[in-house]
Amino acid sequence: MRTRRIGVVAAATTTLALALAACGGGEGSGDDPTDGSTDAAVEPADITLWLAGADTPDELRQYLIDTFEAENPGSTLTIEEQDWADLVTKLTTALPDAANTPDVVELGNTQSPTFTTVGAFREISPELYEELGGDKLLPSFVEVGSVDGTVYALPYYFGSRYMFYRADLWSDAGLEVPATLAEFGEAVKSLRTDDLSGFAMGGQDWRNGISWVFANGGELAVKEGDQWTSTLSDPSTIAGLEMWQDVYEGASNLPATERDVAYWDFLNDSAEGGAPAAATIMAPGWARWSIGDLTTNEEGDEVRDGMADASKFDIFALPGVDGGVAPVFAGGSNIGISATSRHPELSENLLQIIFSDEYQTMLAENGLGPANSDFTQVMTGDKFGQTLVETAAGSKLTPAAPGWAAIEGAFVYEELFQKIAEGGDVTELAAEYDEKLTPMLNGQSG
Amino acid sequence: MTTTAQTAPSAPPAPAAPRRGRTPAAPYALLVPAVAVLLVGLGYPVYWQVVTSMQQFGLAQQFGAPPEFVGLDNYARIFTDDRLWAVVTRSIVFCLVNAFVTVAIGLGLALLMRAVHRGVRVVLQVSLLLAWATPLVATVTVFRWLFDYRTGVVNWLLVRVGFEQAAGFAWLSQTLTFFLVATFVIVWMSVPFVALSLYAGLTQVSDDVLEAARLDGAGPAQIVWNILLPLVRPVLAIVLLLQIIWDLRVFAQIRLLQDAGANVSETNLLGNFIYELGIGSQDFSGAAAVSIFVLLLTVVLSAPYVRSLMKEDAA
Repeated sequence: MRTRRIGVVAAATTTLALALAACGGGEGSGDDPTDGSTDAAVEPADITLWLAGADTPDELRQYLIDTFEAENPGSTLTIEEQDWADLVTKLTTALPDAANTPDVVELGNTQSPTFTTVGAFREISPELYEELGGDKLLPSFVEVGSVDGTVYALPYYFGSRYMFYRADLWSDAGLEVPATLAEFGEAVKSLRTDDLSGFAMGGQDWRNGISWVFANGGELAVKEGDQWTSTLSDPSTIAGLEMWQDVYEGASNLPATERDVAYWDFLNDSAEGGAPAAATIMAPGWARWSIGDLTTNEEGDEVRDGMADASKFDIFALPGVDGGVAPVFAGGSNIGISATSRHPELSENLLQIIFSDEYQTMLAENGLGPANSDFTQVMTGDKFGQTLVETAAGSKLTPAAPGWAAIEGAFVYEELFQKIAEGGDVTELAAEYDEKLTPMLNGQSG
Repeated sequence: MTTTAQTAPSAPPAPAAPRRGRTPAAPYALLVPAVAVLLVGLGYPVYWQVVTSMQQFGLAQQFGAPPEFVGLDNYARIFTDDRLWAVVTRSIVFCLVNAFVTVAIGLGLALLMRAVHRGVRVVLQVSLLLAWATPLVATVTVFRWLFDYRTGVVNWLLVRVGFEQAAGFAWLSQTLTFFLVATFVIVWMSVPFVALSLYAGLTQVSDDVLEAARLDGAGPAQIVWNILLPLVRPVLAIVLLLQIIWDLRVFAQIRLLQDAGANVSETNLLGNFIYELGIGSQDFSGAAAVSIFVLLLTVVLSAPYVRSLMKEDAA
């Protein structure tokens, strides 16, 4: 029975090892960030830029690499693309570690306060700030990137959301582009059938849903003194949430648990040219390139034609409660230099390129709202640019509270909107979630 | 080539090493490397885990602020949190159900492999190995496609068979059906290991014993219950123990399914809860406290098994 005993001992050891390994998750690195060396001379080096998602087109990336290498002989720039979904995680572990930190990072505008308040970014000196654009830079983005007047993260680009719709389906039903938010709701509800969402919207998709809150004059949270308070129970917020509930229930066929949905797939004709699954969607401006009829590009790949047929695909800005344009969620990114970067001078040189006239123009030409307002008019050449600028002008940011990233990480608003989408009582849910969210907003764990 | 072998210079005879007597220290010295690896690989992280769980450690500390020692405050905070107990209950139920279902199906397959023709058995074994070798993310992605509410083949089949209400049914939206799909994924991925281990155990059962049983008039069911199962009991016990530990630690499958759209807080298991606390909400100390609790829970759940294995061994 000797072999059996070895087996048992091996199993017991394995068990112990596995049990110990069970607590591997969530361990915070105990290393202190070593001080970034402050060498006087700028030595040539390779610096790393993290870009989030695929939003920055390849042409712009190549421009950054080429220009950086030309202006900084001997140095190179490596661009690494990070997934939006793990960005906060990656930043949390990489930024404090001087050996592994990226030098310059793009991050979501609403994620900025979480990192600027703990000193993750290097200060942008007032002189550099002026040089990069100063007061011409988008004020709301500069504000979320600043702590007590010191700037840490700058705007990278802005975007906003508007409505993409099937002009053919709308006109067949005798519908016009709506002038008010209530008209919009009625129109998309009348379009809905079992196979067609009048307006495709997932139940957990609060980033689109909060437009209804903002349009009704509501807020998610307000800051009084230095304390944040969740204001879901405010009558205006409740009115907005109830209006959204009505639209979701009456116009969308999507499950209440859906969140990051590729809505553009719903708007396109289904395979073999069949009917689409939605008559209207809400999406960021760049969704245009995923919408339209199929065509073949220069490389011979099958792609969408970017809504070439205006009688079939068209856009409008979400209308406000009393007409005009509804304030939507202001998407976009900030960009900053890691506090532990070993090459701060080279990183600042990269920022100079990003905020140069050429690069700002390139952003605008590619449908990404430029950080410097001087270049916004480059975008207004077509209806897409005009609608983007028009909706961005009224757009709003989510609360710049210290606990915001934690709230996003725990899917709290997703859960609230799901429960509303499932037909829950908005007033009761608002009170319940206010209680949950207020401490979280102030950075206390919920 | 024997000649070269013969002409090759032979190694000088090893100098007669002074043989120490059979000191009892030798076996312990041999254990040192293994213990050292365990200490470095597991002891050090656990040490940090314990330290972190007794500190106030959030994002500010991660970025260099000195952590403050708070004793057992994190444990008090975690244990008074209703979310923890909901997650613990859910995890234990889920773990036990999955472990037993996996072992039951695995045992069934092992018995089947014993009974079928050799060709069929090889096909079965290869299929099991392929299912086992498929990367986790790929497997979960396939299951997500299968159960997709719009384009999933499961809903399509159900409608074909006559369940009209299955059209557009979102499996991951409801907690119960979410865990049903999760169980499919986890059982699918863990059955091969159980089936192959048990089959290996079954091949060790001597044919003489079975022949004797048959001569005594035992039927197939009696042979399985009274002869095969008792003989593979040690393997069965170890496999079940491993399944319980693995299923208590399940994380990625749930996380990937949640990403397809689910109520996150109602479908979190322990691993996901720790991840959400630590990585999602940057509450590293709270996450560390829950992790230590999971470690103890694992030990408590598996202790009876380990003890009975030890006892059996001593007998």
